[in-house]
Amino acid sequence: MTGAESGAGAEWLRLSPRSLVVRPLTDLVRLVPLLAGLLILHSDRGSDVIWGVLAAMAAVVTGLVHWSTTRYRITDERVYVRRGLLNKKVLSVARDRIRTVDVTANLLHRVLGVCRVSIGTGRNDWRPGQSLHLDGLARTDAESLRLVLLAAASPADQEIVRLRLAWLRFAPLTMTGLVVLGVLFGSVIQITNATDINLAKTGPVKHFIRDFAAYSIVHRIGVGVPFAMAGYVLIALIGYVAVYWNFRLTEYGAGTVRVTRGLLSLRATTISLSRLRGVEISEPLLLRAAGGAKCSAITTGLRVGEGAEHEGSVLLPPAPRQVAHLVAGELLGVPSGLVAGPLRRHGRAALRRRYSRALTAACLLIAGIGAATWARQGPAWVWESSFALVPLAVVVATDRYRNLGHLLSDGWLVTRAGSFARRRSIIGTDAIIGWRIRQTWFQRRSGLMTVTATTAAGQQHYSLRDVPVEVGLAVAAGATADLVRPFQLDVEARARTA
Amino acid sequence: MTTERTAQPMLPGLRVPANRVSRRAISYWTARAVLAAAVVLLAEVGIAVGSGFSVVWAWIIGITFAAEAAHAVIMPRWRYRVHRWEVTDQALYTRSGWFSVHWQIAPISRIQTIDSHRPFGERIFGLANVTATTASAAGPVRIHGLDRELADVLLDQLAVATGQTPGDAT
Repeated sequence: MTGAESGAGAEWLRLSPRSLVVRPLTDLVRLVPLLAGLLILHSDRGSDVIWGVLAAMAAVVTGLVHWSTTRYRITDERVYVRRGLLNKKVLSVARDRIRTVDVTANLLHRVLGVCRVSIGTGRNDWRPGQSLHLDGLARTDAESLRLVLLAAASPADQEIVRLRLAWLRFAPLTMTGLVVLGVLFGSVIQITNATDINLAKTGPVKHFIRDFAAYSIVHRIGVGVPFAMAGYVLIALIGYVAVYWNFRLTEYGAGTVRVTRGLLSLRATTISLSRLRGVEISEPLLLRAAGGAKCSAITTGLRVGEGAEHEGSVLLPPAPRQVAHLVAGELLGVPSGLVAGPLRRHGRAALRRRYSRALTAACLLIAGIGAATWARQGPAWVWESSFALVPLAVVVATDRYRNLGHLLSDGWLVTRAGSFARRRSIIGTDAIIGWRIRQTWFQRRSGLMTVTATTAAGQQHYSLRDVPVEVGLAVAAGATADLVRPFQLDVEARARTA
Repeated sequence: MTTERTAQPMLPGLRVPANRVSRRAISYWTARAVLAAAVVLLAEVGIAVGSGFSVVWAWIIGITFAAEAAHAVIMPRWRYRVHRWEVTDQALYTRSGWFSVHWQIAPISRIQTIDSHRPFGERIFGLANVTATTASAAGPVRIHGLDRELADVLLDQLAVATGQTPGDAT
C-alpha cells in the first residue's frame, strides 16, 4: 500500500497507551482460577506457576508489539487498519460497505477506559486475524469513530424499548442458564486438571455425597430436585442480568439503530437500518409456552442463531411476544400482519410428511430400545414405557405442522418453522441472491419440495420446507421475478389460470 | 418408472437446463461407486474372516455386494439423466442429484468468484468441475463432470459476464 494510493489528509492513529495493560492483565486473569486452585487446595505442583509467569511475560511483550504496530486511519472513502511486526498487513474497507459497528468493553476494558471496536462489513469469509477490529481504543475515540463511520451524528436518539425487570421471568426459560453452567463446569474441570486434584475425593464434596446418600430415595428426589431447580433458576437469572442489564434499543436520526447492554461487559452495537435485511423472531419451546420471544437482526456480518449473544445481532433479549412483534415491525417498517399475523400453511401432504417422519423416528427409537433391553435382558417395562414416544411423536408432528408456514407480501418473505425452537424470519426479497430447490424421492411422490432462498445476511439461507411444488415456485417467482421467470415453463398459461 | 419420470421435467413448472454434462461422467461415477464399494466389502471380508466366517457374515457380504453392484449400475446412469446446467445472460441454472434432486439458480450479477477444480479422480477421466460462489455462504453453485475444454470455456464466459454487472447486494 503506497502513500498515494491510501489517500492523503487523514493521519495514522494509534490505540490508547492504556491498552498496553489489557493483554497481559487478561492473561493474568485467566491464570487466576489456576492460582486460586493451587492456593486453596494445596497442590504441590509448582511448575505450572513458572509456566504461567513465563506466559505472562510473553503476553507483556506481545501487548507492546501489538500496541506499537497497530494503526488505523479513516479517509473519506475507506477505513484502514495496519498491524503486524514481521508480516505487515493492511486491511481496508470502503466506508459505504460498513454495516455495523460493534463496541464492546469487558470489566478490564472499563476500568482502563478503553474498548474494542469491530467493524462489520459485507464479507462473510474473513479468515481469523483478518477481521477489522481495534482492541484497546480510548472510549472517546471509539465513540467518535462510531459516529464518523455510520454518520449517526444527530444526537436525537429515540428509545424504542428498554429492559424491564418483569422480563427476568423469561430468563430460566432459555438456554442461557445451561450455557453458564457449561462454562462453570468447564472452568472447574480446568482447575482440577491443572492442579491434579480429584474433586470427588476432597473433604467437603465427599461429606456432601455421603450425607446425601444416607437419605431415602424419596427424600433424595424431594430435596435434590427443588435444590437443583432453584440453583438453575439462580444461574439463569445471573446470566440474563450479566448479558442484558441496561438493555436499550434506540433509533438514531440518521437511519441507524443502536443496541446497548451488559452489566460487567458492555456492548454497544450500531446497525445501519438501510443494511438491515430482516428480523428473526425466535421462540424456544419453554419461552413460547410462557408467551415470550426474542429478536435478532438479519444483516450481513453479524451472526444469527447459535452464539448470537456473543455477536452483535441481538435486537431484543427474551421478552414478551408483543414486544418482539413491536420491535420487528418498528425496525423493518412493516405492517403487524407480517411480524405476527397468520401464515400460509403447507397443506395436507406436508402434514402427512410431518407425521410419517416423526412416527418413523419414534418406531426406530422403540425398536432400538427394545433390542437393547432384549440383548441385556433388562426389565420389560423399559421397552413397554418407550411406547409413550408414539403419542409424543404425534404431538410434536402436529405442532411442527402448525408452525410451518410462509407468506410473501410487499417485498418481504416470511418463513416460519420448528417446534422445539420455532423461528419466524422476515427477510426483504431484495436481499435474496439465489434459490436452491430440493426434492427428495419421497417429496416428489407427494408433490412437495423444499425451496431455499440464499442470502448474504443472517443464516445465509431461509427455507420453505415441504411446500407444494406450485406454491413454492410461485413464491420464488413472486419474490425475484427476473431471476426465476426465465426458467419457468409456459408462464403465460400459468398467469391466465392464476 | 424412473426413466419415465426423468424424461419429463421432474418439477412441474421449471424447465430443464439446456446442457448435459460429459458422458464420461458416467464412467467416473461408476469408478467412484466401485471404489467405495470395494472399501466396504474388503472391510466386511476382513471382519468376517477375523471372526470365523459365520453364515450370517456370508449373507451380509452377499447382500452388500448385490446392493453395491445395483448402485454402481443404476446411480451413474440415473445421475447422468438428472445432471444438467445452463448459463444465460442473467443466471446460472443447474440441476443435480439422483435420488434427491437439487435445482440451483444464481444470478450472474451476484457471482463473486468462479473456480475450476480438477481432483485427481476427475482428471483421469478428462473431467473438471466449475464452482461459482455468491456473497451467500449457502449459495455456491457447482457443476460437476464437465468436459475439461468446456470447463475452461465456461470459466472464461462466466468471468466476462460477472465482470459486467456491478454491485453485490449485501
